[in-house]
Amino acid sequence: MQNPIAPLLESANRSILGKQHQIRLALCCLLARGHLLIEDIPGVGKTTLAHTLAKLLGLNYQRIQFTSDILPADIIGASIFDPEERSFKFHPGPIFNQMILADEINRSTPKAQSALLEAMEEQQVTVEGKTYHLPSPFFVIATQNPAHQIGTFPLPESQLDRFLMRIELGYPNRNAERELLRGQSRYHLIENLQTELPPEQLKNIQQLVNTVHVSSALLDYLQNIITFTREFPDYPCGLSPRAGLSLLNAAKAWAFMDSRDAVLPEDVQAVLPSVAGHRLRSASQDSGAVVAPILERVNVL
Amino acid sequence: MLASIEKNILLFLLISVGLIALPHIYHIPASIFGFFVLLLTWRFIGIWKPSCLPGKLLLFLLTVGGLVLLYSQHQGLFGRDAGTRLFMTALALKLLEIRQERDLYLIVFLAFIVAASQFLYEQSIAMAGYILFVCCVLLGTLVAINSRRQNTLNALKTSAVILAQALPLAIVLFVFFPRVEAPRWMLFEDKSRAKTGLSDSMEPGSISDLGFSDELVFRVRFQGPIPPNAQRYWRGPVFSVTDGKRWTAAKRYTYTAAAEPDFSEPAYRYTLLLEPQNNNWVFALEMAGDFPPQLHMNSEYLLTRSGNPDKRAEYPFTSYPSYRTGELSGHKLRTNTQLPGPASQKITSLIKRLGGFDTRPEQFVDRVLQHFNRENFSYTLTPPLMEDNPIETFLFETRSGFCSHYAAAFTYLMRVANIPARVVTGYHGGVLNPVGNFLEIRQADAHAWTEVWLENRGWVRVDPTAAVAPERIEQNVNIEQQIASRNISFFSADSELARQLDWLKQARQLWSSVDYNWQRWVINYHSANQTQFLASLGIESLKQMLYWLVGLGALFTSILSWLLLSRKEKTADKVLRCYRRFCARLGKAGLKRNAGEGPLDFAKRSKKAYPKQTEAIDEITGLFIKLRYQKESSQADLSRLSERVDQLKIRRR
Amino acid sequence: MNTLSIKDRFRLNRFFAGENPSDEAIPLNQRRIFILPSKRGLSFVVLILLLLLIAFVYNNNLAYFLTFLLASVFFIGILHSYKALAGLIIQKGQCKPVFAGERAVFEIHIDNPIPVPRLSLEIDLHDKTQMTLAPYEKKAVRLYAPTERRGHQPCGTITLSSGYPLGLFRAWSPLRFNLSVLVYPKPWPQEIPFPETGGGASDQGKAEKGTDDFYGLQEYQRGDSIKRIHWKAYAKGQGLFSKQYSGEQGDELWLHYEASAGYGNEERLSRLCRWVLDAEKAGLRYGLKLPGQKIGLGIGHAHRARCLEALALF
Repeated sequence: MQNPIAPLLESANRSILGKQHQIRLALCCLLARGHLLIEDIPGVGKTTLAHTLAKLLGLNYQRIQFTSDILPADIIGASIFDPEERSFKFHPGPIFNQMILADEINRSTPKAQSALLEAMEEQQVTVEGKTYHLPSPFFVIATQNPAHQIGTFPLPESQLDRFLMRIELGYPNRNAERELLRGQSRYHLIENLQTELPPEQLKNIQQLVNTVHVSSALLDYLQNIITFTREFPDYPCGLSPRAGLSLLNAAKAWAFMDSRDAVLPEDVQAVLPSVAGHRLRSASQDSGAVVAPILERVNVL
Repeated sequence: MLASIEKNILLFLLISVGLIALPHIYHIPASIFGFFVLLLTWRFIGIWKPSCLPGKLLLFLLTVGGLVLLYSQHQGLFGRDAGTRLFMTALALKLLEIRQERDLYLIVFLAFIVAASQFLYEQSIAMAGYILFVCCVLLGTLVAINSRRQNTLNALKTSAVILAQALPLAIVLFVFFPRVEAPRWMLFEDKSRAKTGLSDSMEPGSISDLGFSDELVFRVRFQGPIPPNAQRYWRGPVFSVTDGKRWTAAKRYTYTAAAEPDFSEPAYRYTLLLEPQNNNWVFALEMAGDFPPQLHMNSEYLLTRSGNPDKRAEYPFTSYPSYRTGELSGHKLRTNTQLPGPASQKITSLIKRLGGFDTRPEQFVDRVLQHFNRENFSYTLTPPLMEDNPIETFLFETRSGFCSHYAAAFTYLMRVANIPARVVTGYHGGVLNPVGNFLEIRQADAHAWTEVWLENRGWVRVDPTAAVAPERIEQNVNIEQQIASRNISFFSADSELARQLDWLKQARQLWSSVDYNWQRWVINYHSANQTQFLASLGIESLKQMLYWLVGLGALFTSILSWLLLSRKEKTADKVLRCYRRFCARLGKAGLKRNAGEGPLDFAKRSKKAYPKQTEAIDEITGLFIKLRYQKESSQADLSRLSERVDQLKIRRR
Repeated sequence: MNTLSIKDRFRLNRFFAGENPSDEAIPLNQRRIFILPSKRGLSFVVLILLLLLIAFVYNNNLAYFLTFLLASVFFIGILHSYKALAGLIIQKGQCKPVFAGERAVFEIHIDNPIPVPRLSLEIDLHDKTQMTLAPYEKKAVRLYAPTERRGHQPCGTITLSSGYPLGLFRAWSPLRFNLSVLVYPKPWPQEIPFPETGGGASDQGKAEKGTDDFYGLQEYQRGDSIKRIHWKAYAKGQGLFSKQYSGEQGDELWLHYEASAGYGNEERLSRLCRWVLDAEKAGLRYGLKLPGQKIGLGIGHAHRARCLEALALF
């Protein structure tokens, strides 16, 4: 069976150069129905990545630029009095789209942040007692400037847990950068991308991901990891049960992307830095370094 | 502190203390046992109503009371009885003063001493089992004290396990620990106890006390055939002096050695396990030829032992039923024809009627026996009283009696007829235990017979009782027959009941056999016995004994520690075992799997290191992943994996 | 980790203080576990000797046997005692910073990897803690130790011991981990006004929240400006609320070491500590200036921790 993900990845790699692993992780996050947090300095292609994915998946895409003065209503929408109908009418905000790019989320106030995060968590918004469902699939890619920049509200630990993964993009390598400098405008390239995986198919795949087999041996390994994080003194707090579940889902998606019908320890290890890094130590930038003791010490067998 | 000692631990402890003291109800005075029970009950009530426990003053008064009680028994401080009483009283008093965990330990330790004191009174299997059980409970108390939140049943289980583990080592110690007889000064004898048994004098009628006693006297195990019942005379004290009523031993011969008789075949070899006795007599089968050197045989062929008759002892013997003794010295002749006075007219005429004085002694003996047989003499264990002139009364009036009557009367008649004669007491017969193949001789088997001295033959045993009640003497004890005859006489109609009785009988014999071995190998395992037993194993010196003790102890300890401490890292998972083997193979070649390395990563690394094995590594990894992580796998995959791992050949880099 | 030189092996100190401090999980094995008879064990020996005497004097074989049985039980007690601890895996856990005078909490994890329950374990740091472990159970134990001075306070030797099953032997294992608690200075006991911040617009540190855009109401907190109080709501009897505005200029607070001149070093740190706590509580952005050290403006748990750590280790 030809993996339906493969052409998608191929296209994505063509438009974003030298970031195969990050693209893979982003897609994995999407398949596992989680949200993605990209943490990096501006200009490394965060927006491009989000845009590309939206294009390839044929999703409604909306970018929300978070600023210090953005209000919850600017995100969710507001009820506005309609003089003709003599009633309040709800005008949905930008969040009512399938793919949201929440750009520079740490520039806004916690109030606005939490409005987005609540919507992410519940897949619905409630305005003045009325509940509005968000479209499905619903996928948020939030970007955050590294915490040391002045005038920001970095997401608190509790909110970070809402994101399935946190990835860093990093600078492109020399070749990729050369290509970038040489090539045509990325924007045009993205505009011309064809949908590789329509939303219906995406939903199917998300279903399939759920059916990936998880053996008890793997669950042992997973639990050993979770226990380890709770006991290892260098972690201020260990992985929560929700984090454990997220890790499993991400590993399932990863296994599916590798065309496997069962999760292997390697799948867990592959997604571990992105899934567990920000949950174990929020301040650290390098997720790989955070989870290194786990990969080193928790016995696979 | 008191509050911290849990109720159930206290309850547990008190019950075990009660259990350990219980058998002493037979051994110590009622007043002291009552004191103990009172204090124990008090303490029991104190578990639920701590307020009613005695204060310091009351405790002091109780202590004084206990001491007064001890003093009133006039037993001093040492010795078995005194010691037991002392420890019981101390235990009882300590019960009322439990303040800390330490006190619990002291009580348990005191209880162990009381447990040991039980053995000084009784050493039966039942008692040993009982004490072992109670010790288990006592140890269980210690376990309960030392483990939080464990229920008492589990504590009991733990203590039972510990005891079971300690048992082999204890047995090694028991067998190899050198036994030395305690020096005399250390022995605190209690003379107050009386035992039944043969006495050092005989009055017709005296043995009848024993006639009903079921108490075991000794047991005999033969090497080879068992002599017929008619020959099973176990020789005891010999009485040759009489005052007409009472027969006693001639003091003079007690310590002179015997002239050895001439023996002729057949010989019987056997070991005799003698129960504790009142006297030093040892009852060997007539006539003992070879006997252990620690025994002494006097000129009347009575075997005696030196040392404490209160101990069980085991002796090997060789006996010859046919023997011939030598000449009779003048003095002996006089002793054995001694009479209290001239015989009465009645007796002289009886002797004359039977041809005494003028026939050959052998003939006269036969005639007297015939006289007993033909006239209406009868054998009974409950004869009428014969007071003044017992022999005459017996011979002419009552004519009913048992062995001692017949033996006394017969000897008297012989002596009047100038034939040297004497009364021999001892045991006769014995019941064969077919399970253990040994004879059991009980007090009921006590017997008296006569020996007459005949020219050219020496001392000859004549059993006048046999003339009256031949079945008592001749019957060869055959269990089957006995049972059969009983069936006929009592239960002929009810064979079912008979079978049950049969079964019961066998059970009793089995038990008896176990008890014999218990007595022989456990209770009686003393210094001589130990030396003998260990010599049979080839262990002769004390040094060797210690080597064995240490060696076997070390062996058991290491076995036990291996059992207890080896943490078998059992991987029940066969798949994992196969894969570990694969990793071990690569590891041996220098490529170790890291703890956090998954199978795919490891495969990648190993393929790089051993490109030639790519195919094998791929297959093994694939199979392993399939078996361990995938939904479906088959047994065939497992065997294939195992096979491939075994085939894998990797050279050290 | 498994290699230990002969010299080290016989170091007497191991006996009392344990091995060198460790970061790793420590599995208890023969190298770590020490066993000696307890006082009760010694009195048990006396009991055995007494029983032996009785058996000897009366030459009573069953009394001998009882004696030997108890002696074997005593001997086997060594193994059982060892077994009570053997195989346990002890790992250091977390240790959260505390203020001086509070009790430090050292967390250690005890793992029982075998299907045998461990009854009666005793862990001794400053106080004794008793515990049991079910088969395969893993437990986190919190050990408390008093703290007096700020700075890093090492955990010291933790002694894990057990008298199970008979209490005749005590098996123990001294454990040392690289575990220390960070002790913050003791906060100044009374509330003190915030120091004047050099050049700051706000008066007495009563920094105002952003004034750009109104974005909500918040329950009134001590330190909020009177100007911000939502009087309308208060008039309606709905309680005291502060109006919140987005934007955050003008709520900065610099805490200077020099601000409490006239006090000794420790007192100064103590006062700074108090300020940090109060500023955090009041939701102010604050920075810390110590001689030779400066921590920029910030707010939040992590920032507070950084400031307090600087104070602790100053």
